[in-house]
Formats: sequence, structure tokens, C-alpha cells
Amino acid sequence: MTKYPTRMGDGHVIDMTADELKADLIAGSADAADRGRIPPLKDDEIDFLLDLFKSNARVVGVDQGNEVVLTHDIGTLRLDGDQGNSGVGIPLSRLQGVQVHERAFAADTMELGHVDYSWKPVKPIIAQEQQALENILLSTIVPMFYGAMPNLGTYYAPDGPFGNPSDLLPMGKIKEAREAQERAVEHATRDIVYICGKLAEVGADGVNFDTTGAAGDADFKASLQAIEQLKAKHPNLAIQVGMAGEFVLGIHGALEYDGTRLAGLYPHEQVGLVEKAGADIFGPVVNTNTSKSMAWNLARAVTFVKAVTAVANIPVHVNMGMGVGGSPVFETPPIDSVSRASVAMVQIARVDGL
Amino acid sequence: MTEQELLEAAAKAVVAADEDEAKAIATEAVKLGLDPLKVINEGFTPGMRDVGDLFERGTMFLPEVILASEAMVAAVAILEDSLPEDQKEKKAGTAVIGTIEGDVHDIGKGIVATLMRVYGFDVVDLGRDVPLDTFVEKVKETGAAIVGTSALMTTTMVGQKALEKMLKEAGIRDQVKTMVGGAVVTQYWADKIGADAYAENAQEAVQKALELVQG
Repeated sequence: MTKYPTRMGDGHVIDMTADELKADLIAGSADAADRGRIPPLKDDEIDFLLDLFKSNARVVGVDQGNEVVLTHDIGTLRLDGDQGNSGVGIPLSRLQGVQVHERAFAADTMELGHVDYSWKPVKPIIAQEQQALENILLSTIVPMFYGAMPNLGTYYAPDGPFGNPSDLLPMGKIKEAREAQERAVEHATRDIVYICGKLAEVGADGVNFDTTGAAGDADFKASLQAIEQLKAKHPNLAIQVGMAGEFVLGIHGALEYDGTRLAGLYPHEQVGLVEKAGADIFGPVVNTNTSKSMAWNLARAVTFVKAVTAVANIPVHVNMGMGVGGSPVFETPPIDSVSRASVAMVQIARVDGL
Repeated sequence: MTEQELLEAAAKAVVAADEDEAKAIATEAVKLGLDPLKVINEGFTPGMRDVGDLFERGTMFLPEVILASEAMVAAVAILEDSLPEDQKEKKAGTAVIGTIEGDVHDIGKGIVATLMRVYGFDVVDLGRDVPLDTFVEKVKETGAAIVGTSALMTTTMVGQKALEKMLKEAGIRDQVKTMVGGAVVTQYWADKIGADAYAENAQEAVQKALELVQG
């Protein structure tokens, strides 16, 4: 029986028969449908994905006319950064990094970010970041975002002033853990609104809330509050929200936004709140399971994201890359996997961008 | 209340994280002369299993899991008081757990530590960004049955392999079972480095840990 080369979720190459691929596609979609209480993929959609996996082409692409725009998180850091797990360590300034993306890579948008990539550390150096952004804006035409992570972890011990829920909860100090998160939400909201306001003043086209919800429901709440306040002050500032995971972790468990409990929300439930807060682009995340095949992971991811585009009223730019969107957990995700996942997201999930 | 009704109520009290109700049910069971071990094993424990399932499904969250475990612990303490000394439930063992040095991702490891405590382990949670030496020292100091390491990044998962070697060099590898987890870790990796177990999520980690200590 013919076997087709594909990958596991950790990136290593395996061979699967068409029957095995189809069984994993159906199972992956069913898992998303079960967890998210959403419809599974239809038979013709499963067949489309199966054809993608059976294709001999190393790189696949969307049909002409189905091209979508790309937004970038981490921005120039992927060129000059070399953190061992991302970035290629080319000694370029951030300005040169943006110019390379604009002129050599034909990027649709670009992003400036601080090497720590969290909002909180940007506050004391905001003047420097304003200057860097202004210089870039003066020598490029590509729409410029400034991106960082809400990262409420920076507000908890040992990095911040509040008790760490990861320390408090195991001690049974639930009330204290919740209070620490509630206080962190207010501080993070204030910091993010301040920083983004300063960036808007020098002409940022947009800001990107990357890896939103990484520290749980408090992280998501701080982001939503900050977006609401920012949009009221700077209605022309584009706001993109990229999530940290497919599921909002309930580290607090009782936090709400607009009357909706945040813990436990899946992407199709997150997007409505992001819209309500005033964001302009939503980036859903679906995590890759390293122990499952790419067929299983991609069908699962597409099922979740299709449910997002079905209800979204703002553009959906799905997160694609290492360990998300059906791609393997691999420092530089292989092009065979990324291109297949991208085609599936555009032509089945009908995303507006990647 | 019949025995069956009491067992069902015990499970419900744990799921509802209602410590007062759980203690009242345990007291009632003692008063009725029911077998305390049966009430623990067929009443409260299935309730805790349901809590684990609900957590895994994303309909119950960490603070609620902790409250549920406190309700169960309080009820079990009442039932154990009525047991002869030799029948009292023994601790599952000591587990040393932490996130490998260089990795500050803490949430998943914290959830595993919490569930292991719920299931009777004495857990020594070393936290995040833990030097490998510290794992070895803590295993020696506590005589732990299990050492569990978490890695969320490909750059830190190699620490799990190094720890296997360090435990051998310290002469204690045969005395402790190693468990590995984290988003980038797989069964394939566990087999490759010689770890005793890999778990995909917190619930599975507890099951595997129990299997390891129970032989």
C-alpha cells in the first residue's frame, strides 16, 4: 500500500497510508468538535486535506485569487535575535530588519518589538521605543505595528510586586492568589494603555497583543480592558490580538469580561469578546500535540479556526508557526508542513490572513 | 440514607468542592457503621476522579480543583480516624518536581504538582528554572520515589537527558523513577533518553506516577 511522507507533531518524519491519514484527519476534527462543541469538518473538507497530504509537492500554495495578507508577530527579532529557539542571529538593527521585511520579503505589515517582548519592560524605556519607531516610520511605507505580550507573569514574584499564583495556589491560598491576579490585571491594564498611547502619539499604525492569555484568564482580562480603554482614546490605532493557546486557562477561574466568564473559552468564544473590546484583528491559536500526527493536528486546528471565521465580524489572522496552527513544534517549522497548514487555513477555514 | 445514596452524595460533595458537606457525609458514614475504606474508595475517590475529568475537559479550573481536594482530604481524615492503624491509607510516596533550568514556564508543572498532592503524593515542588544539581540533591535528601521534570522549550528539554546521566553518576538512578513532560516532550523522547514515564497531561501524569510507585 502506498505510504506518504508526513510528520508527527514534534516534527519527525513518518510515513502514513491514505487510510491512516484519513482516520487521523477525522479523529483530529472530531476532537476539536467534541472539546469546542462545534461542527466537525465535512466529508469534502476531509478529502481536501487528504489530497494535501497525498500531494508529492514539497511546497503547496493556495489557488490564485485566494492569497491572504500576512501579519507578523515578534517582528524583526526573528532576524537579529538568536535565543536558541527562534531567530537567526543576523546582526541587523531593528530598522534594517523592518526594511529587509518590507523590501526583500515583501511583508504586508511589520512589527517593532523589544527583545524581552513583554509590555511591562517597555514602560521605562518608552522614549527609546518611540524614537526607534519614529525612525522606522520615516524610512518605510509598510504598516507598522508595535508588538509585545501582556505577560502577567512579569507582575508576579519574583519578577513583579504581587504574589505568584503558582506559589499561592498549591498552598491553598486561593483568596490570596485571586487577589494577586486582580491587582496585576489593573496594573497591566494601566501600563499597556500608557505604553500604547505613547506609541500612537508617534504614529504607530497599530499595536499587537501577542500571546494573550499566556498567564491565564487574568492575562486575557487585562488585555481586553486595555484594548477597550485604548480604542476609546485612540480610535484610529489598529489593534491585533493574538492568543497564547486554544483555551483560556482558569488560573483565577472567576474573572469575567462583559458578563462572560473568561476561563475555559475556546477560540470561537474568544473572538466575540475581542471584538466587543474593540480589537480590529483576531489571531486564534490552536496548539499542536507533539504525540499526534500532523494530519490529526491540522484537521483539529482547521476545525477550531473554521468555527472562529463563522462567527467573527473582524478579520481573522490565524497564528501559524512553531507548535500552532497544525504546524510541528520545531524551531523553524518545515516548509512542507507550514505550506500545507497555510493552504488548509485559507481554503477550508477561510481565514483573512496568517 | 442508604449506603449507595451516601456513596453518591460523597462523590457529589467532592465535585461541588463542598467541604462542610463532605465532612458531614463522612461523619454520617462513621455513625452508620459503614466500612470507611469502601466510602473512601467508592464514594470520595470517584468524585475526585470526576474532578480530574472535568478539569481535563476545561469545565473546572485550578482553584476549584484545589477546593475539591481540600474537601476530600477533610472527609478522608474523619473516615481514617475510625480505621485500625494498619488499614490507614499510606502516602503514595514523595515526588520531586520542577521545570528545567532556563525554562520559566510554570503553569503546567504547577497543575501536575497540585493533582499529585490530591492523589496522595508528598510533592516537593522546586518551581521553575531549576538547576539540574538541585533535582539530584533533593532526590538524595528526600529519598523521593519519583522525580518529574517539565520542559516547554526544545532548548531546555535536553536538560531531561542530562539529568538521567547525573542521576546515574550520583548512584541513585535505580532508586528513583523519572517522569518527563511539557509541550515539546513526547513518548519518543522519553524512550530515547531512558526516562521511566512520559505523560501528556496532568491527569495522565498522576495515573503514570501511581503506576510507577505501585509497581
